[in-house]
Amino acid sequence: MESLLNGFEAFQRYYLNWEIIQETFPLLLQTLPLVLELLVLSMVFSFVLGLILSLMRLSRFRPLRWFAGAYVDFFRGLPLLLNLVFVYSGLAIVGAGSGLRFLILPPITAAVVSLSTTYAAYSAEVFRAGIESIHRGQMEAARSLGMTYAQSMRYVVLPQAIKVVIPPLTNEFIALIKDTSLASVISLQELLFTAKEKMGVVANPTPLAVAAVVYVIFTIPLIRLASRLEKKRDRGSKGTKPTDGSVDKPSALVSADIATQLPKGGGVR
Amino acid sequence: MSDPTTMIELQDVHKSYGHLEVLRGIDLLITKSEVVVVIGPSGSGKSTMLRCINALEPIQRGHILIEGIDITDSKTNVNKVRQKIGMVFQSFNLFPHKTALENVMLAPLKVQKKSHSEAERIARDLLVTVGLSEKADSHPDQLSGGQQQRVAIARALAMQPDMMLFDEVTSALDPELVAEVLNVMKDLALAGMTMVVVTHEMGFAREVGTRMIFMDEGVIVEESHPREMIANPREERTKKFLGMVL
Ligand SMILES: Nc1ncnc2c1ncn2[C@@H]1O[C@H](COP(=O)(O)OP(=O)(O)OP(=O)(O)O)[C@@H](O)[C@H]1O
Ligand SMILES: [Mg+2]
Repeated sequence: MESLLNGFEAFQRYYLNWEIIQETFPLLLQTLPLVLELLVLSMVFSFVLGLILSLMRLSRFRPLRWFAGAYVDFFRGLPLLLNLVFVYSGLAIVGAGSGLRFLILPPITAAVVSLSTTYAAYSAEVFRAGIESIHRGQMEAARSLGMTYAQSMRYVVLPQAIKVVIPPLTNEFIALIKDTSLASVISLQELLFTAKEKMGVVANPTPLAVAAVVYVIFTIPLIRLASRLEKKRDRGSKGTKPTDGSVDKPSALVSADIATQLPKGGGVR
Repeated sequence: MSDPTTMIELQDVHKSYGHLEVLRGIDLLITKSEVVVVIGPSGSGKSTMLRCINALEPIQRGHILIEGIDITDSKTNVNKVRQKIGMVFQSFNLFPHKTALENVMLAPLKVQKKSHSEAERIARDLLVTVGLSEKADSHPDQLSGGQQQRVAIARALAMQPDMMLFDEVTSALDPELVAEVLNVMKDLALAGMTMVVVTHEMGFAREVGTRMIFMDEGVIVEESHPREMIANPREERTKKFLGMVL
């Protein structure tokens, strides 16, 4: 009994130390603008790059397809941490040695570059699965009206695909929030870095607990939102008449790799 | 360009999917205001032929000419040629994120670059033609199959095509909805539209068709006037097929 009490007291002292919480919280809040900047820039770049890559992957031009496929495979296989260290420290060494000073990136830029390049690969897979989940009859109907491939994509396929990809993209955004913490290893003064620093100063891990709370405050509502959106989307697709035949089950999106059997480029000139 | 009334000309058209040869030498000449009814067993290549006419599929051999323009020539702008051809599909393929009106307006707006008011005027007129003026603001999932298919016909007509292709446009419909779609097509035919109609609706074929083509295994087995073919099929295969659908 006594040891249990001791244990409880120790837990409180080390993880929920009120004084340290009060000191840490404002410190962490100060990092939020930087984290937000990193998050927003990485999200925008990775979504845009991901959409472009997905369109390249579905193109009729073999070199574009090949490049996009290789890109996606490479960055999906590459540890994000390695990407970060390479873009920050690796390029800095090259920059210092060769006089190409522009290769020496500030931590925030390096973090945006590596998060964007890696997450572009994930987004590309989500977009590709989303586009492929739209029945090919949609593209054919648009083309038969005289629309070009680009017009058909823009006005017919993509507006439908966007609805399908919003839930998985939300999930990706959640993962991105968590992965911004990796930037602490390249000394970007974000949440985890600051908490760890404080932990060293006070010799107590309470700042980590505070950081954990801040992360989940941001992520849990998004997790809820993602599953709500998913349910809504799947309900929506069941609501349409079966004879409609225009949209495939978006549940194919659960695994981005299911919808790969369609002929590449569709054969429509 | 031989005859200015020639709308569609297929010359020795061969089409394969991998090793499967689906069209094995089709020759066909369709002139203005003809209503050509295409029949044949499942898998005989009827849909494939229509898709090739609209350049939705590449062909391996032969030529397809639309109003004298060879669409199999890689220098031909197929987007331009497709504007002359309206196509209606078995599964409607309406754009589900757009209302009936927007479905019909899209191509005039984006392809013909018509003004919004002009496109809307055309679209509303066409919805009246197909009897759906009060459904202009409904989305496809709020429409019955027959209504969806009539919107799809209006959408194709919005580009003022010179010819229309119909691929089993009533087969996905409940029986009581078939007539409303066939009536729209009948009116079109009476107005002089050139039409290629894949269908098993023999009543429609007899009444509206000017020519009937029986396809089997990728070739045209027999062709004559619909009433003639239905009453006196010459070929054994035609007899057998008609015996099953009549
Ligand atoms: N995209 C495709 N890839 C491979 N084979 C195909 C493809 N489309 C059609 N086929 C094959 O080509 C053949 C002809 O198909 P098509 O759809 O033209 O027949 P159909 O006469 O329209 O039949 P139905 O009456 O069933 O619609 C069939 O054997 C079909 O399996
Ligand atoms: Mg067919």
